[in-house]
Amino acid sequence: MELSGKQYKAFNEREEALKKQYSPKQAEKQHSKGKLTAYERINLLFDSGTFEEIDAFVTPASLPVEFGKVEKFYGDGVIVGHGKVNGRLVFAFAQDFTIMGGSLGLVHSIKIAKIQEMALKMGTPIIGMMDSGGARIQEGVASLSGYASIFHNIIQSSGIIPQLSVIMGPAAGGAVYSPALTDFVFMVNHTSFMFVTGPNVVKEVLNEDVSSESLGGAEVHARKSGVAHMIYDDEENTILALKKFLSYLPSNNVENPPVVNDDNSTPDINEKLRNIVPDDPNKPYDVKDIINLIVDRNSFFETAELFAANLVTGFGRLKGKTIGVVANQPKVLAGVLDIDSSTKGARFIRFCDAFNIPILTLEDVPGFLPGVDQEHAGIIRHGAKLLFAYSEATVPKITIILRKAYGGAFIVMNSKKLGGDFSYAWPSAEIAVMGPDGAVAILYRKELAQSKNPVELKKELVKKYRDKIANPFIADESGYIDEVIDPAVTRKKILSALNALNNKWVKVPARKHGNMPL
Amino acid sequence: MSNDKLQIKKLYTLSSENRKLSFSLPLKHTIRIGKRDYEVKLKSDEKYGTYILWKNRKYPVEVVSSRQNKYEILFNDISYTFTVETPFSLQRKKVLSSQKGKVEQEFIKAPMPGKIIDVLVREGSNVLRGEPILILEAMKMQNEILSPVNGIVVKVHAKANNNVMKDDMLVDIKVE
Amino acid sequence: MKIKKILIANRGEIAIRIMKTARLMNIKTVAIKTAVEPNAMYLSFSDEVFDNSEDLSEIPVFLNIEKLINISLNTNSNALHPGYGFLAENAYFAQKCIDNKIIFIGPSPDAIYKMGNKTIARKIALAGGIPMAMGSEGNISNDDEAVAIAAKIGYPVIIKAASGGGGRGMRIVRNPEELEKMFIIASKEAEKAFNDPSVFVEKYIENPKHIEFQILGDTKGNVIHLGERECSIQRKHQKLLEEAPSSALDSKLRKEMGNMAVQISKAVNYYSAGTVEFLLDSDKNFYFMEMNTRIQVEHPVTEVVTGIDLIEQQIRIANGEELKYKQDDITFKGWAIECRINAENVQAGFAPDPGKIEKLSMPTDSCVRVDTGIQAGSAIVASYDSMIAKLIVSGKDRKEAIKNCKIALDKVWIKGTKTTLPFFRMLVRNQKFLDGTFTTSFIEKDLEKYYYNSEYEEMLAAWLATKLFIEENLNDNSINVDFENSKEMSPWLLNKRINQF
Repeated sequence: MELSGKQYKAFNEREEALKKQYSPKQAEKQHSKGKLTAYERINLLFDSGTFEEIDAFVTPASLPVEFGKVEKFYGDGVIVGHGKVNGRLVFAFAQDFTIMGGSLGLVHSIKIAKIQEMALKMGTPIIGMMDSGGARIQEGVASLSGYASIFHNIIQSSGIIPQLSVIMGPAAGGAVYSPALTDFVFMVNHTSFMFVTGPNVVKEVLNEDVSSESLGGAEVHARKSGVAHMIYDDEENTILALKKFLSYLPSNNVENPPVVNDDNSTPDINEKLRNIVPDDPNKPYDVKDIINLIVDRNSFFETAELFAANLVTGFGRLKGKTIGVVANQPKVLAGVLDIDSSTKGARFIRFCDAFNIPILTLEDVPGFLPGVDQEHAGIIRHGAKLLFAYSEATVPKITIILRKAYGGAFIVMNSKKLGGDFSYAWPSAEIAVMGPDGAVAILYRKELAQSKNPVELKKELVKKYRDKIANPFIADESGYIDEVIDPAVTRKKILSALNALNNKWVKVPARKHGNMPL
Repeated sequence: MSNDKLQIKKLYTLSSENRKLSFSLPLKHTIRIGKRDYEVKLKSDEKYGTYILWKNRKYPVEVVSSRQNKYEILFNDISYTFTVETPFSLQRKKVLSSQKGKVEQEFIKAPMPGKIIDVLVREGSNVLRGEPILILEAMKMQNEILSPVNGIVVKVHAKANNNVMKDDMLVDIKVE
Repeated sequence: MKIKKILIANRGEIAIRIMKTARLMNIKTVAIKTAVEPNAMYLSFSDEVFDNSEDLSEIPVFLNIEKLINISLNTNSNALHPGYGFLAENAYFAQKCIDNKIIFIGPSPDAIYKMGNKTIARKIALAGGIPMAMGSEGNISNDDEAVAIAAKIGYPVIIKAASGGGGRGMRIVRNPEELEKMFIIASKEAEKAFNDPSVFVEKYIENPKHIEFQILGDTKGNVIHLGERECSIQRKHQKLLEEAPSSALDSKLRKEMGNMAVQISKAVNYYSAGTVEFLLDSDKNFYFMEMNTRIQVEHPVTEVVTGIDLIEQQIRIANGEELKYKQDDITFKGWAIECRINAENVQAGFAPDPGKIEKLSMPTDSCVRVDTGIQAGSAIVASYDSMIAKLIVSGKDRKEAIKNCKIALDKVWIKGTKTTLPFFRMLVRNQKFLDGTFTTSFIEKDLEKYYYNSEYEEMLAAWLATKLFIEENLNDNSINVDFENSKEMSPWLLNKRINQF
């Protein structure tokens, strides 16, 4: 658009130069690798016409020492600004790999810091789309301190505004810490990588051959390290999922999460819930079948699906309101708690607590995973994290015991004395210090050793144990749970419990912060 | 800078046999055969459930599963699997597959000691990420071991009714 | 009528089939309710229901002789119909019924026993001059004997279990080197499946047609046949589609084979309904295989072309009545085809696809008969079988029957599980099927694709996938979020939250 008059000549020239910088030829550099350009990602994220860019024309800092070339580019390799995502104000930055490899220089980091500060002031979520070669070598210490200020801002905002990272290219060395510090990390399969030391250094130092993909690709971080929470096969799906995910979260830690218009198509009473847990306590089932019948239809968004699959975490909605779900998964590792699942659960619970999201716990856990590996790796410490997180949380907490709830694991999974608000059990629940086989073996050791038919006797005793001790009615009658309920009315019960807990307020102790085992 | 959305004018729907069907957007509710356009309607009622009405005939249809952009549709009692790609994601697929250098293999090992109850795949089977590949009985429960990747099974070490120790090799999968 | 009340020791479509005929004959029926399917369709067709749903034992009640006898006595049922499968061919059970003065609607325990053991059946057939595939006289006790006999018969041979069928304990051997190994495998399999490792050896007839004859006999020694059924469309020895009559038989051959069927039935003093199975080779030579001493799944096609209610005949015969038909009274009119629609996934090798049937709608044309035990809401239980319904279609000749079948198949509407419908839709368009020249190796050898879909079906399915993708991903306001709603908070809460920091 041409403005008339001499004064506007400089304005127009600059616009032209910017257009040239982002020519289709530049875009091709990304497309040929199967990646989108930074602008394309921004446009996918924000609602049409709502994105306002800031500092589009800043240029790189002048070098303190002449070493290597830094060309004069506008923007310094990152696009920052604000806009509306599904109608809500959100700040975002997207690194541009086509400009100096997206490397982080001083000005680049100042731009990011600028919107981080703005997001914190406005109390709005901030999203970082990373696609960068790392620190800009030519700028030396200035680059490193640029990272430091970014990390510092993330930490200052942690637990105040939701911070999400999407890795859409490489993120190596120090750069990986900024996503690691944010609340949730999204990665794109095959074209994004995160590692502290790259394959080249690994080869040099350890003489090990490893590809970027197998060292720090999306699958690795989603399945093995737990650094990435959500991964998708391409960029468009990743950004669309990110938008969907955002709709579950409040803008800041004082607001309640947003409410979606519910079409009331999910029945409050559903008989299908009675048929999911098998009669045989050793047969597994998929707890997600239960979750999907409790939350609003199609509203369950699972996080960290591929990591510690024996504990399911994710967000769902009840009549349009967001809740966090933590559930043991009996069909993976029998639903035991172990190191990975404890840390996964603890982090998720703390996020929900920070952002006023009520927590629903579905419990079917036979205990902690036994073994030398787990003990030596510190299951004691890590299990304690889950305990700490549950107890510390002041959001409404509701537990439904579906089947097994033995020993320490029963206590850990949000039991009443630990601070749970409402505890319900299904008739199939077995609440006890330990499972029937273990208990019988200990309490009746002598009788079993002397019996002529130990197998039959054990079977009999196990049945007796199940009937007399491990049944939920005893816990109910003693007040350790609130009620044994018909599985069909679970959703209805949870809705009324949440209603009662609407204005729950618990004063947190006056301290800087607790000393959670780490 | 331009604020236009990624202008998607066409979508490519790939069948499991790699047949490519293209649909231009906005999606028309007609299918063209020869020179004529026939209307397609997706409907649902008490008696028939969900169905598609086309050329005056009702066809039963069910969405068996949908994950990201992969859909399994049961149409007139036959199951089809499709992936819906935008022009960009289609190009990305081509770029990535041409880049494939080293063949990646995924080695599935026993996560804990137990007994193999059932092996659900054999050499040559196609597997999708998340699909169960065998049942391992451990901790007194039957656990499904899921495939972590999309790929083809190249070797099956596990045998039904065998006992395994932690980290024993179970199945080798070539990653796709 | 001696028979006052029949206990139906079965479930599903055959239970309903028996109940329907009993009702027409004014005989009361009792059904048994089980824990596995407490809301099954068959329970609403009987006069009484015996509630056995408290019984949670692993063995189904339909296999529990003691329980069935007790239920009979408890409900004052003086007759029992075993249907097919379960205990229908258990001689001991039949005897136990008789011992307890319960009329067993089926053949004598002696006939069941003799025909149930394949080697005994072969001996009887041999003695009666019935054509049979050359084979061992009795059971083979060791592999040396097997080798000797096989050499005499000539390869290829088939090793078969004496006490059972359905493909188990069966091995085809094409050359002498494999015989020893196959003998051991077949023997072991037979022992596991039927508790009897006995096997015998027979000449293996390549690519035969499976033709069986329906028999009716009474207690006065009269036996007639009701024509043949063509059952060559089989997969792993399980029948999928049956026809009456067979396009491979002319009236001369029908008479010859029918007479043989009657003869072997008479040799064991057979009464009630039964089926004599033959193999027909490409030269129209026929060989006796075995006799099934029960009513069969595919009996409807015979009923359609002869106009005779076989269940009614069974009840009358059990009642002691004399057969009112002579052989010359039996005429055949038209052609009938039966498709067994099962809850199986054709694309996954006919793997069972258990689940709940959400919607079920069957054609109601006059040329269509539907025998089913499933209605909308029924569950297909893996522990029983995967049958949804039998679709029986008739026409004035084979061509018309196939044409009517094609139309009827397109009208079947089932939602809830995958079904074998696409297989039958393919079959009625397959040239070899239309020619009638198919043999038992048809499915394994002559078919490239096991299902049929018309050109546009894939495109319509793709259209739907695309529509879903657009709705989920590309619509701008796909998420209907209310951001203002969350700002409304009670002052109590807001005040506390703000002041805590």
